[in-house]
Amino acid sequence: MSLSMRTLAAGIVTVMCLSAPVVAQAPPSGQAPKNQSEYVPIDQLPPQDQLPAAPLLIAAYSFVLIVFFLYVLSLSRRLTSVQRDVDRLGATLKQSKS
Amino acid sequence: MPKWFIRAAVVCTVMFALSPFVIANADYESTMGLVQKIFYYHMPSAWMFLVSGIVCGVASVRFLITGDPRHDRTAWAAAEMAVIFGVVTLVTGPLWARRAWGTFWVWDARTTSSLVQWMVAWAYLILRRYGGPGSDKLAAGLALFGVANVGFIYISVNYWRTIHPATSVVPKLPFTMGFPLWYCVASFTLLFVLLLKMRIRLEEQRATLDSLYLSLDEQH
Repeated sequence: MSLSMRTLAAGIVTVMCLSAPVVAQAPPSGQAPKNQSEYVPIDQLPPQDQLPAAPLLIAAYSFVLIVFFLYVLSLSRRLTSVQRDVDRLGATLKQSKS
Repeated sequence: MPKWFIRAAVVCTVMFALSPFVIANADYESTMGLVQKIFYYHMPSAWMFLVSGIVCGVASVRFLITGDPRHDRTAWAAAEMAVIFGVVTLVTGPLWARRAWGTFWVWDARTTSSLVQWMVAWAYLILRRYGGPGSDKLAAGLALFGVANVGFIYISVNYWRTIHPATSVVPKLPFTMGFPLWYCVASFTLLFVLLLKMRIRLEEQRATLDSLYLSLDEQH
């Protein structure tokens, strides 16, 4: 057997060995998975399993507004601080020139 | 700040103040109900997240070609916008998904590539802050990866099997849902422009400060 044929055979055997667990886990053909027939539409769930939408909606909108408010606050503080330094240094530079 | 900035800021504030009323009047989506209204803030912020990536990438290319520091400042500002709009997208999306999909997160192509894009923006900012000399060009290279990823994020829902809605949803929206969406897109676009302008202004002032320090050093 040539080297390439041996490599090919080794490759096929390796793939077959690696795919064995996948084949073992697959459901038998023609048989539906166990929980497939147990699907329940979300609006027909019992009350204890239903998620209220309002808290999620309020959380999302509050988060957006808080993030932008804090970012604008942070930006304006950084701008004010840099502007103050620019003014102070500009004044120092003018004084040292005169 | 220029005069138009103040006027635009007032318009933007009014638009955001009115947006809950516009969204409240939008029709309910039949299967998801109330929680679907997160969409009106989630999708515009996601678009601005992608626009930030494009602005950062294009400005970085221009900086690499011309060496003009103005483009570098724009890229830096846009990377920060990507982090801000990215966090809004990545938090509002899972809050919607918790009710609609039954889980906060799925590792599908759209959500995973969006998370990667957000981390690229963070990496850009960290590189600029702690990278030392030469980090501007290195970060510009990183931004190129980011802009390539933007295209991938956009098309991912059309090419890979995912539970995230496809890009074909928006053009099919009826007027009662389309109008609030485009209203919010306009509000977020205006906010993006204003924040970007403010952030670029900060970098300009920092550059002025550096040159003033240099002038002072030369005098002594």
